Amino acid sequence: MNKARTAAVELGAASFVPLISSFLLAVLMLLPLGSGVANVTMPHLAMIAVFYWITRRPMLMQYGACAAVGLCLDLWLNVPLGLNMLLLILARMFVLSQLKHFKGRNNAVHWVVFVVLSFGLYFVSWLIISAVNGVVWPVRAMFIQWLVTAFSYAPIGFLLGRLRRSIFQ
Amino acid sequence: MAWGVRPLVPIVQSIKGLASNTTGARRSVRGRGGLWFYLVASFFFLILELFGASIPGQVRGVADDVVAPVLNLLERPLRYMQSGMERFAGVSDIYQENQDLRDENDRLKQWREAAMQLSRENEQLRLILKVPKREVPAAATARIIGVGGGPFERSVLANAGSLDGVEDGLPVIDENGLIGRVLHTGRWTSRILLITDINSRVPVRLERTGALAIAEGQNENYLRLRFLPAEADIRVGDRVLASGHGGVFPPDLPLAIVSKIDNEYMFLEPIGGLEKLDYVRIMAYHAVPDTDALLLDDDGGADNE
Repeated sequence: MNKARTAAVELGAASFVPLISSFLLAVLMLLPLGSGVANVTMPHLAMIAVFYWITRRPMLMQYGACAAVGLCLDLWLNVPLGLNMLLLILARMFVLSQLKHFKGRNNAVHWVVFVVLSFGLYFVSWLIISAVNGVVWPVRAMFIQWLVTAFSYAPIGFLLGRLRRSIFQ
Repeated sequence: MAWGVRPLVPIVQSIKGLASNTTGARRSVRGRGGLWFYLVASFFFLILELFGASIPGQVRGVADDVVAPVLNLLERPLRYMQSGMERFAGVSDIYQENQDLRDENDRLKQWREAAMQLSRENEQLRLILKVPKREVPAAATARIIGVGGGPFERSVLANAGSLDGVEDGLPVIDENGLIGRVLHTGRWTSRILLITDINSRVPVRLERTGALAIAEGQNENYLRLRFLPAEADIRVGDRVLASGHGGVFPPDLPLAIVSKIDNEYMFLEPIGGLEKLDYVRIMAYHAVPDTDALLLDDDGGADNE
């Protein structure tokens, strides 16, 4: 029995909390928050959730879960299929390879890592969108969303932390 | 047989070690295999998009249908909260707002009389000249329940779909003017591409001079006016209407106002309330004859003969 399955069996239904909370935050990204620019100023909540759970409970946020959240997000946001899927897989790949350097450090370090990682992911998404559409895509809206996402990590991470502590301890 | 057990211990241990190593290797392969499988899958989807073989809109329509009930559920308390906050913020201005509304109401009464008289005259003249009616019926009235696209696309999700008579390509208006067209439909939902999206092009004319041009979305809150004749007279504040060319949008729908002219760059501010969409009307407009339908009619006609 692999580690992920062992963790899932030990925790029971609670092992689905990271996946469900990531899906829920992905759905929240679709809500019209009273502004036509809401889809730009809305932070990438799914990216925040996936990063949070990979850094805290990597066994409960497998590649398949990242791919599923990304794929649904691609369909719901009407962006090129595979874009968010790739971004979330890359996020997990990066975090797992670097986790030994910042695991156990305080939340500020995690925040800094997220800011750097999300910048890289937005850059990758800009490259992909430009390639798919065959034009140099405007960066302003993307830059604004990255900023909002970077600043939103702290409050969303705090809420996810409360959820994690209430369920896993 | 104690003598026989001792020599077997290292063998058992080595078998256990081998087994654990094998499990570890299998685990590692499974993890990496998973990573590569999902990476290849995402690249496969992206390459499909790159070569224009995008997945059918029906798949996205089904995905929208699946998420629509959740959005419907979450959207209502959000609307109530927003309207409550707006009401709370507006309490201090209520007296002044009331006075302004009374003044506006008096002006509108005068306009209403003039409009009714003009409408009657217009109807009589149309009858005399046998001009066909230009009213476009509504296919459906829908509520905006979701936004989409993130920084890549300007689109919204409405809670009316093919079961309500909505079809791909139909124009969509709000109470002020044109806001976009239906991109694809699910059974209960439809995605609307806004006029501000970078892929949106609307053939337009200036209301004051009649000069023709194209209004292009920029993925911003404004549009850009292009292909306007060099000799055309254009001023800030001019209204821009859909020209009806191309047959996608009905003519004379208000679209935008010229907001800024900077040499060859002309920017438009949308008239439709794109910043705060609530209810929208999807119009049953089919200016361009459906060639498939015509072919079917021809076949039917041949059969009847």
